[in-house]
Amino acid sequence: MGTAEPLSQAGYAEAVKAPGRKRKNKGETNLAGYLFISPWLLGFFLLTLWPIAQSFYLSFTDYSLLEAPVWTGTSNYANIFSNDATFTKSLSVTFVFVLISVPLKLFFSLMVAIALSRNIRGMNLYRTAIYFPSLIGGSIAVAALWRNMFGLDGYVNQVLAWFGIQGVGWITNPDTSLGTLILLNTWQFGSTMVIFLAGLKQIPQELYESASVDGAGRFRKFVRITLPMLSPVMFFNLVLGVIGSFQTFTSAFIITKGGPINSTYVYALFLYDKAFKHYQMGYASALAWILLGIVAALTVLNFLASRYWVFYESDGGKAK
Amino acid sequence: MRKKRSSVLALTGLTLLLAATACSNSGGGNGNGNGNDGGSGNVAGANEGGETKAADPITLGMMWWGTDERHEATKNALALYAKQNAGVAFKPEFMAWDAYWQKLPTLAASKTIPDVLQMDAAYIQEYVARGQLEDLSDIDLSGIVDPNVVENLKIGGKLYGIPLSQNAQGIAFNKAELEQYGIALPQKNWTYDEYFQWARDARAKLPEGKYPIGDSTDWGGYNMYQTSMGKDPVMADGGKKFTLDKDLFMTYYKTYEEFRKAKIVPPAEKGAAFLENDPQADPMASGVVMTRGATTGSVSALEQLMPGKVGVVNMPTGPSGGGWAQSTIFLSVSANSKHKDEAKRFLRWFITDKEAGKTLGLTRGIPINPDIYKDLEPTLAEKDKLGKEIYDLSVEKALPFYSAAAGFSEWVDTYNKEMQAVTYGQQSIEDAYDKINKMGTELAAKAGS
Repeated sequence: MGTAEPLSQAGYAEAVKAPGRKRKNKGETNLAGYLFISPWLLGFFLLTLWPIAQSFYLSFTDYSLLEAPVWTGTSNYANIFSNDATFTKSLSVTFVFVLISVPLKLFFSLMVAIALSRNIRGMNLYRTAIYFPSLIGGSIAVAALWRNMFGLDGYVNQVLAWFGIQGVGWITNPDTSLGTLILLNTWQFGSTMVIFLAGLKQIPQELYESASVDGAGRFRKFVRITLPMLSPVMFFNLVLGVIGSFQTFTSAFIITKGGPINSTYVYALFLYDKAFKHYQMGYASALAWILLGIVAALTVLNFLASRYWVFYESDGGKAK
Repeated sequence: MRKKRSSVLALTGLTLLLAATACSNSGGGNGNGNGNDGGSGNVAGANEGGETKAADPITLGMMWWGTDERHEATKNALALYAKQNAGVAFKPEFMAWDAYWQKLPTLAASKTIPDVLQMDAAYIQEYVARGQLEDLSDIDLSGIVDPNVVENLKIGGKLYGIPLSQNAQGIAFNKAELEQYGIALPQKNWTYDEYFQWARDARAKLPEGKYPIGDSTDWGGYNMYQTSMGKDPVMADGGKKFTLDKDLFMTYYKTYEEFRKAKIVPPAEKGAAFLENDPQADPMASGVVMTRGATTGSVSALEQLMPGKVGVVNMPTGPSGGGWAQSTIFLSVSANSKHKDEAKRFLRWFITDKEAGKTLGLTRGIPINPDIYKDLEPTLAEKDKLGKEIYDLSVEKALPFYSAAAGFSEWVDTYNKEMQAVTYGQQSIEDAYDKINKMGTELAAKAGS
């Protein structure tokens, strides 16, 4: 603050004296600034914004990659909503995935974060070990591991057999296949957990101390102090989790290929197949925009709901 | 990094220049057989424009799919060609089947398909229809490829792919275990009825956990049945004609339904976990199923997983025949290539040069050129002999190779998924038929309009 003051005063004085010159000066500074970020801007406009705009246009066309796109108006959208059973199926698979995996992941990562927030010798080692699965999450190796674990003759069934339980082919059984993917997703709680951990460290110890003085037990402290103080972090993780889960792709693509019988045919995989397997780029673009709409609507909903359960310390600790 | 690359490039250029001038000296002298065209071209170039012209080497892009064995052999063949033809360098790109067909459409859209590319019978029609491939009719193949074969491969009277090999579809069986359990080995030209009966008989002799044959959910298996019974293929006339014979469909899948109940085919849960050519998950190499489909080009991979145990037989037949035996793998030239003549010269060399033939071996199946195959025959390994055996067994009764028509890729997926729902007991055969038939009929109507 102290250093910025004289500068801005000088600038102000100058502006009063010679308004024309000031504008020019400001223009120059802006230009230099834009030049400095121009590599990023170019990348953003050419490689991000342009393709996004292009995909919006393509969503109103029939485009097979090999031939020029043909304008078809809203027929892609009409077809998706009126007579595409796979769309409905993949959307419902995705909703089930999001509804189960997001809360599960939040719960587990919070529990682990609490366990890891204590001061024990060698804690860094534990943290690293527990974060590790998130690093190798989408790899082929994990897919192979999952197949071996949850296959018909996999480790899981071998363990079950010790207790006399006849296992099923977890991955190849349509009733359980989505469950294995949810489990895999939950296992990769690393980044969520780290954010929770940071959030926990931010909670002032005085709150706990004074609560202890007042005779509050562990559970009460958790519900009354930890959870409310952590709610902004929880909210952040929830929003990111919902967005991420809607786009889940890798595990379904590598491990189950959407099967058996579409039981793990998540929305992103459906979209990918339409685009890069059946070369219906227009249709796939329309699907992508619908996904964007759904995710945006849910995020808005999340923000609206957050008024009732997220507490910001800066607002005096009150939910709006 | 960039600086380093450009200096490497300059160095490569210099090397090529030296190589070019060196070769043109000797090339003028011996001038025998292959590489003469390229060699003499360089002599002319060196004489007219001096060093600058010879320093302009042509780089041919080439892309193919396949196994590591094929990658190595092909790279060696390319090196051989570059050695024989100074001034030609290659930029090879190679990958597995899935990745290849994912990448090619994007290259086609951006008009950057490499000069030379490998093509498959399942896709060539689509790429020809979209004007991506160069007409190769002017390449002289007399004495190299049977004129009938060439004629059969023409699309609209023009040749768009040079056939590389003979391929055929058959059935591989676990000879060792069938003998162990006292089950009669399948015989050449068996009929579908005999095939089904063989499976029933084998069930009685096999221990629990082992199955005579695999289940059937993909359209190709049924299409073979329908055509062998004398009906039209499911898709004909570029997808404009769609035929799914309900009686045959019901008979075929009712049989498999009976087989699932009788444990003649593995349960759906087990079947879904199979992964061909995976040492542990291959249906046959894992010892679970006694038979599986195999082609001339692919059976060697299975043989390597279970050496000495594999026997082969042709596909079951019907009144009209059964299976197929023909070229399914080609080399094509991109319609956007800047070096079409050089690419065509290379294509011809690829199937005529004896050295190349030796280098490539059977990595793309039985070489189409009889002279080259004759040279290779005495040195064939056991795994390669099986491929030849499938071809020889299949030729007599072979029907054409039917590929999915352009625009039917989603129907192919749907077929598989609907039939999968049947194998899991979630849907009746009749319902599956209705859905598959409806979608196919609609697509055909769209293709015809």
